[in-house]
Amino acid sequence: MKFSLVVYSAPHAGESAATALRFAQAVARQGHQLLRVFFYADGVHNGSALPAPPQDEQNLLRPWQLLQRETGVELVVCIAAAQRRGVLSQSEAKRLERPAANLAEGFELGGLGQLADASAHSDRLVTFGGPA
Amino acid sequence: MSLQTLILCRRAPYGSALAREGLEAALASAAMDQIPDLLFSGDGIFQLLDNQAPEEIQQKSLLRNLQALPLFGVERIHICQQSLNRRGIGVDAIALPGLELTLVEDTGALIARYQHVLSF
Repeated sequence: MKFSLVVYSAPHAGESAATALRFAQAVARQGHQLLRVFFYADGVHNGSALPAPPQDEQNLLRPWQLLQRETGVELVVCIAAAQRRGVLSQSEAKRLERPAANLAEGFELGGLGQLADASAHSDRLVTFGGPA
Repeated sequence: MSLQTLILCRRAPYGSALAREGLEAALASAAMDQIPDLLFSGDGIFQLLDNQAPEEIQQKSLLRNLQALPLFGVERIHICQQSLNRRGIGVDAIALPGLELTLVEDTGALIARYQHVLSF
């Protein structure tokens, strides 16, 4: 089965982002296809290379990057949501004249069209961190 | 065959960024020729009210996004009747030219008809 995920939560704001990661890992482990993970709203913070949590706390960034390398899943960070929240690629930082870029390796910026596309081309679209 | 995508709008317009970002997702989807249906329920119905003054709190009005829906091919929105009742809001408080309003009694049955649901 073909899955895509949508993540609305920042990595350390709650459990949702970690649950999304574990779900994505389970999808891959069970032999399903993981097409795309679309990071939207506060979920764009998952694509920041800068968080430095204490060593004995979970760090979601490396496992996302590992999953991306192993499965080729697209980790797409919504560009409009990311601009609002300060998650920028090198070229965006330059274009918008901001002092730094922080989009992590393995993640890419993309438009909302990629969310619509994921919805159209996946058997299941699973959202994490939506309204309670 | 089930319908493609339902976008569920459940947040008050200026209390959560998800209200705006949900409408932006709806517009983007429609722009890709995948015209979604929309259901406003819970506090999401506050997005539809006439006479909003978001500039008082330095916010950008969401009405422009709603008014853009018909331009992108979304001609009808669903509204949860029970959510209106619970908040004491009549459907006459909603004025959105170009959009047909459909009041829904059984939102569960509506949601079940869709292949995908994006909840905001």
